[in-house]
Amino acid sequence: MENSDELKIKEYLLGNEEVFKELVYKYTPSIFNFSARFVGVDYANDIVQDVFIKVWKNIKKFDYNKASFKTWIFTIARNTVTDYLRKKKMINFSALDKEEESFADNIEDDVVLPDEALIKLEDKEFLNKLLDEIPTNYKEVLVLYYQEDMTFKEIGELLGKPLNTVKSHHHRALTILREMLK
Amino acid sequence: MEQNLQKLFKQAAYHPESRLSGDVWTAIEVKKAQITKRKKFGYLSLSVLSLSGSVFSIKSLIGELIRLGFFDYFSLAFSDSGVIATYWKEYTLSLADSLPVASLALSFFLLFVLFISIRRASYQFKNKLSIA
Repeated sequence: MENSDELKIKEYLLGNEEVFKELVYKYTPSIFNFSARFVGVDYANDIVQDVFIKVWKNIKKFDYNKASFKTWIFTIARNTVTDYLRKKKMINFSALDKEEESFADNIEDDVVLPDEALIKLEDKEFLNKLLDEIPTNYKEVLVLYYQEDMTFKEIGELLGKPLNTVKSHHHRALTILREMLK
Repeated sequence: MEQNLQKLFKQAAYHPESRLSGDVWTAIEVKKAQITKRKKFGYLSLSVLSLSGSVFSIKSLIGELIRLGFFDYFSLAFSDSGVIATYWKEYTLSLADSLPVASLALSFFLLFVLFISIRRASYQFKNKLSIA
């Protein structure tokens, strides 16, 4: 089904340049936040610029039957961040994939963060510091799920991973967060 | 808990400088202008090359047509139409035989490339005007 983004892209492809500008303004904050989580605030601007240039160059290849525009643009952002981390020889997103596959079969009860923990997380700086310490694979699920309002299904499409793996990433991320808060 | 976490995570989100979206859009415009310039240069070069190629190939085509007697056969059609009507099969074969196929194909190909490159170059010029 087409949403407003897909309609905007159709309009852009018919020659209305302004709608692409609207998409740039709409997604810049989200892509910036996502990129800053992995490469740091100082380099996130460059990543955002690269992402939108890639989007602009490849917009004709976008197929709304395969994924939503949001999923597509975040996939491009993730690939751009991965390339950047690879160049800088920092950890990449798939480093923990193998470990996670075996964990996927062992999801137990939902992780509950106690109220005191949630109160501690109200400190923005503290939460960001904790997020920096969480492994990349888990952190990206948390960021996409809680900050970008994506569903597990959408995250799975974006990461190219099965739904169960995404859920287990989420579960593991919360477990780590709870351990850190103890 | 999920809603609380969502709220807390959103509060902690990193925010870009307000000018970032504008900068991104400017970068796209610059990239677009660069690509248009590169394409324009490419198509103009191709136009010049195919034009000079066409001139040479048409000259060579005319030379070949004269050497193979195409014009002689062709003028026969206007001077002696009675003979042509009687021996039209032989005449058509001779006329076809006097055609320099390779030169003809090359000339048509170069003219086609010239036409396409001029069309594309003019599109790039129009595009540049619309960006400006």
